Amino acid sequence: MKLLIVEDEPGLRDSIREYFTEEGNICEIAANYETAYQKVSVYRYDCIILDITLPNGNGLDIIMTLKANRHPDGVLIISAKNSLDDRLLGLNLGADDYLTKPFHLAELRARLMAITRRKSFDGHQSVVFNEIKMDLAAKAVTVNNVPVKFTRKEYALMLYFIANKEKVISKNAIAEHLWGDEIDVADNFDFIYSHIKNVRKKLIDAGCNDYIHAVYGMGYKFGE
Amino acid sequence: MKLFQIYNRISLFTVVIIILITGIVYYYTISAILTYQIDKDLVVEENEVFDYVKLNHKLPQVFRSTDQQIYFRHANNEVVERRYINTDFKDVKDNENESGRGLISSVIVNNQNYEVRIIESKVETEDLIWIIFLITIALIVLIIATLFIINRVLIKKLWKPFYGTLEQVKQFNLTDKDTITLAGSKIDEFDELNNAVTSMSLRVKDDYKNLKHFIDNASHELLTPVAVINSKLDILIQTNDFNERQSELLGDLYETVSKLTRLNKAILLLSKIENNLITDDAQYVNIKRHIESSLNLFQELFINKNITLKTDLGDAIVMMSKSLLEVLINNLLSNAIRHNNYGGELIVSLNKYHLQIKNTGSETALDSKQIFQRFNKSAQSEGTGLGLTLVQQICTNYNFTLTYTFESPFHIFTITF
Repeated sequence: MKLLIVEDEPGLRDSIREYFTEEGNICEIAANYETAYQKVSVYRYDCIILDITLPNGNGLDIIMTLKANRHPDGVLIISAKNSLDDRLLGLNLGADDYLTKPFHLAELRARLMAITRRKSFDGHQSVVFNEIKMDLAAKAVTVNNVPVKFTRKEYALMLYFIANKEKVISKNAIAEHLWGDEIDVADNFDFIYSHIKNVRKKLIDAGCNDYIHAVYGMGYKFGE
Repeated sequence: MKLFQIYNRISLFTVVIIILITGIVYYYTISAILTYQIDKDLVVEENEVFDYVKLNHKLPQVFRSTDQQIYFRHANNEVVERRYINTDFKDVKDNENESGRGLISSVIVNNQNYEVRIIESKVETEDLIWIIFLITIALIVLIIATLFIINRVLIKKLWKPFYGTLEQVKQFNLTDKDTITLAGSKIDEFDELNNAVTSMSLRVKDDYKNLKHFIDNASHELLTPVAVINSKLDILIQTNDFNERQSELLGDLYETVSKLTRLNKAILLLSKIENNLITDDAQYVNIKRHIESSLNLFQELFINKNITLKTDLGDAIVMMSKSLLEVLINNLLSNAIRHNNYGGELIVSLNKYHLQIKNTGSETALDSKQIFQRFNKSAQSEGTGLGLTLVQQICTNYNFTLTYTFESPFHIFTITF
């Protein structure tokens, strides 16, 4: 996967790059409007992570350039502006998603995976992790081709885990993903624990390996 | 006491005193002038007597008119001092004593010393003084009456612009969008006051706006560093295995950052609502549907706290922004859950006219004046302290009324549409 990270704040830019740097990913960065503009004019990316408030320019112009040239790059806007107007404007211009700062990198990754999945037209409407297969159209999960019944939240949790496989995900990131960040009852994480317990039990009962590992005090890690 | 009451009192007092003093001065002046006149008459009369004696060498015949009497008395050897006296005047006709003015003098007739006493009635002088007194009283009464009328009619009218200004100042609300508009009056002082009030209100509004801008910008600018901290934490937890102590610390950090984020977002949202900047178009929404989806979202929390949920939801369609409705409902519901007891109860009822959320919780009523204040929260609360302020601000924007009551064991929040 080839990504372009357009972000003027170096701390955030480096974090994103580090989080996405892994085998099979190429992460390029642009710290300002000109660099970003030059890059998108020449190269194609699977997804562009775009901060719209940039020095010397507006990120929205980059989206317009892409759309005017009919480039298929996915665009994920990250912005500190949380007004519906900005969101609608960005999405209407052709951005694929809009994420408000601050966000969890796990959330960014899950959103980005969703975009690239949607963009791939090779019928990949499913996510596969070893013996687990998630059918995105039917919102169904199978383990070794045997269906496992998940609730809506359990399904969302599963998808979130697979998008962030091999990463430690904080409990806060999970809570905000499942319940939204408006709901500030996340001070009680017991219910995350019970959700995860259920998912784990269902997977193991279906003969799946135990991929969910608790990381003491912080969160969970999904992986081998 | 009203200003013009005080003013009237002072002016009335002063005017009455001045009139009284004038009256007294008049009295003395006029009576002095009149006495001087009478004294001159008396001297004329005395001279007549002297002339008569000189000519005839005998005393004139004594006659008594209605206003003048002359008496002669044999004085022998005593020395008669020439002097004026105030004395009684015997009115012959009415046989009454009136006040009079007399001149005592002496005349020698045929080597005989006589005392001459000439007395004139002063009754006319006294009549005059009496009239002056009546005029003075009438003047006082007239002035009081005039002041009273001026007070009632004119001053009320004169002060009208002042009361208009006062009313506007009373209704002045910093967060309102409209400014004070004051009509010009014909009175310079009031115009000056109006100008001062208008410019002050504009200045205050401007300052307030700047302050709000500052808060907005500050909250906004804070979001980026918070985003950096958040992302660095996300990276940090990937790095290695942490021991228990480190993990706990990291968990605490995460929670603090997320609290900071929520707080920041709540401040930004509140300021947006206060400034009517939610441009998300208002539309007809059925509150029932939103409550149902919120309850669905919160269901784990009910189960977790073993809260019994009772609902009685009718349709209620209002015209408002969807996102604000969500904020409203989520805040009320999450409060009702957060402050609930383990195994408590939550009752949500909705109809066309109002939404009511009743929950068990602490045994005592909350201070209904305090709870809607910013950052007012119970010591053990983990919230931002802005939830109810947000709810109230939204209600204010849409002209809903939000009330809190406590009917043991329920805390009840009611929104009337």
